Amino acid sequence: MAEQTTTAAVPELVSAISTRFSEPAWLAAVRAEAWQTFDELPANRIEKSDLTKRSWDIGALPVAPGSLPEDAKTLVDSLEGPRVVVVDGVVVQADVPADLAAQGVVFGDLHALLAQHGDLIKRHLFSVVPASESKWTAANAAFWHGGVFLYVPRNVVIETPFTYVSVLTEVNQGAFPRVLVVGGENSAFSLAQVNVAGDNAPSHPHSSVTEVVADAGANIQVMSVNQLRKGPTNYLTQRAKVGKDAVVNWTFGDVGDGFTVALIESVLAGAGSRSLTKGLGIGFGRQHMDLTASMVHQGRYSESDIRLQGVLRGRANSIYRSSTHIERGAVGAGSEQHDRMLMIDTTARADAIPMLLIDENDVQRCGHAASVGKLDADQIYYLMSRGIPKDAAMRMIIWGYLQPIVEAITVPQIQTWLTGLVERKLTS
Amino acid sequence: MASVPHFQIQDLHVAVEGKEIVRGLNLTINGGEVHAIMGPNGTGKSTLASSLMGHHAYDVTSGSVTLDGQSVLDMSVDERARAGMFLAMQYPAEVAGVSNANFMRQALNARRGEGNELPVIKFHRLLQEKMKQLNIDPVFAERYLNEGFSGGEKKRNEILQMSLLEPRIAILDEIDSGLDIDALKIVAQSVNSLRSPDIGFLIITHYQRLLEYIEPDYVHVMMQGRIVRSGGKELAEQLEAKGYDWLKEELGIVDETVGVEA
Ligand SMILES: Nc1ncnc2c1ncn2[C@@H]1O[C@H](COP(=O)(O)OP(=O)(O)OP(=O)(O)O)[C@@H](O)[C@H]1O
Ligand SMILES: [Mg+2]
Repeated sequence: MAEQTTTAAVPELVSAISTRFSEPAWLAAVRAEAWQTFDELPANRIEKSDLTKRSWDIGALPVAPGSLPEDAKTLVDSLEGPRVVVVDGVVVQADVPADLAAQGVVFGDLHALLAQHGDLIKRHLFSVVPASESKWTAANAAFWHGGVFLYVPRNVVIETPFTYVSVLTEVNQGAFPRVLVVGGENSAFSLAQVNVAGDNAPSHPHSSVTEVVADAGANIQVMSVNQLRKGPTNYLTQRAKVGKDAVVNWTFGDVGDGFTVALIESVLAGAGSRSLTKGLGIGFGRQHMDLTASMVHQGRYSESDIRLQGVLRGRANSIYRSSTHIERGAVGAGSEQHDRMLMIDTTARADAIPMLLIDENDVQRCGHAASVGKLDADQIYYLMSRGIPKDAAMRMIIWGYLQPIVEAITVPQIQTWLTGLVERKLTS
Repeated sequence: MASVPHFQIQDLHVAVEGKEIVRGLNLTINGGEVHAIMGPNGTGKSTLASSLMGHHAYDVTSGSVTLDGQSVLDMSVDERARAGMFLAMQYPAEVAGVSNANFMRQALNARRGEGNELPVIKFHRLLQEKMKQLNIDPVFAERYLNEGFSGGEKKRNEILQMSLLEPRIAILDEIDSGLDIDALKIVAQSVNSLRSPDIGFLIITHYQRLLEYIEPDYVHVMMQGRIVRSGGKELAEQLEAKGYDWLKEELGIVDETVGVEA
């Protein structure tokens, strides 16, 4: 295939990572194989997102983490509770309160935790997002470092959200954050993940992978907020395997002007498993966002709901796909999709694409609604008729539309940070 | 701003989608006065109200509208509101995600002007007080603006905004439709309590019933996009008793709507 893959990455880089972190043989082998896949595999063809000209130049292994941009520093300093901070692929902070550790909770640097929890990690790592599924998951599997592992044992319920911030500064290469989350039977907890790139991040590709394993009856909330900038291509792959009667809910927020290809997927494997994906995107500049929220129903009576909302300014171009696949045997499955895109400027473009693939005859419900539109002129008129200036009226309406998703980010500091980010993009 | 408002409409023509709906309307409203406009369906009453507020669908093709000598037509919608104009709408918009209280606070602060905003606690106290007067359940403060409100609830919410914003010229478009008799009395009471030389009212209605509670100084009848007859409150009583046919006959009007010229 005439694929343009301008890769400067060399196999030595892969073995250098294995060596640097004294990886066990099995992991080094996965990495080496992933490198092969990455090298050979062309980028997936995605309708409406041309990946043929995106660079695959990986860059060099970072020597030391750069200093935090002001905005990211404010956020990191404000966080409390169990948290991990990774800068340029280096874990710079990992705090787990003693009471959580006493309950068997494990949270921290994936590499460091291999020594003590090697079996657990080996069992689950790559089990939900295999190294070979796409060029960018292969890139992640070959080059990840500064990964994070979160494990909450059976029957343990943790109220305080876990937070994980990954920052890309201007000194370094592309980042490959890898997150593995394992929730034991009937465990309940939430994880908020923030990906930030400084204004001058270099143009190496960025591929992050989050794998979530929810055992029977587990209830896991995963929030992720991304502020990715123009320049590099950002690939995000987040997938959960949801066991019997388990719940995994995703809340995804993206504010940026970068080129992003994202997949958020729940594989509803167990009977009675459920998943709700809420996504919010604010695009500006020349942003290109290709987001797929996907639900794969395998278990009987599994239920899913997708709600995506986009706000587009400038020359932003967003493609929001909601995909529901009800596999044969997923008797009584139910799913809903709601996509709504708001175009603020006439130069912006948006596509809301619903996809339904139903292989089972006996489904409970399967609904979808998608709309792309402008702000409602009568709503603006109504607010203005009470003295509110046009700009403020528009902002109020947009906020009203985004609020339900912003509120789903239950870590107050991250919610505030996201609010500030959105506010700045709406006013500028 | 403390002066008595003087609102003047002169030879106003308004078109919608190229069709002339208001056709040469003259009306002067001074502070302290209550004017009622009555008229059959489709005669341009709401068009008049919406165009005075500056709704984008209505093109003023000629004429002038001034408030205290200032041209209203040169102002944007929000400027008109801040200058003291208020329109209680026949069909107010619903806005999901924006709470009633937040909306009203933004509106009130916009009206009061920068540097003169009402502190949050004071605002909420004021809002609660006004809601109580209008017999509106306090939960409506946190409900989304008009979303899922019944017809009557929307009308009361419009009046709530009016009493908070204390406009200088208040236009009420069919504020009585959808109200039960108790709500009608409460709304009328609220209007009456605002009556003063600082405010002039233009009340559009089909029913004499409302005018029993809010006694008008002047009653005007609108047909074919203009005022065809003006009088005192007895004109409303006459219309209530006899309908519009006698007037049409007197005026030689066959079709009173703006569709066909007589
Ligand atoms: N936005 C609009 N678009 C198209 N036509 C309009 C619009 N607004 C008003 N019209 C037309 O203008 C005419 C007058 O309507 P208007 O709503 O002003 O009447 P009205 O006197 O308020 O009637 P009602 O008593 O039924 O409320 C009608 O023929 C109506 O269809
Ligand atoms: Mg009307």
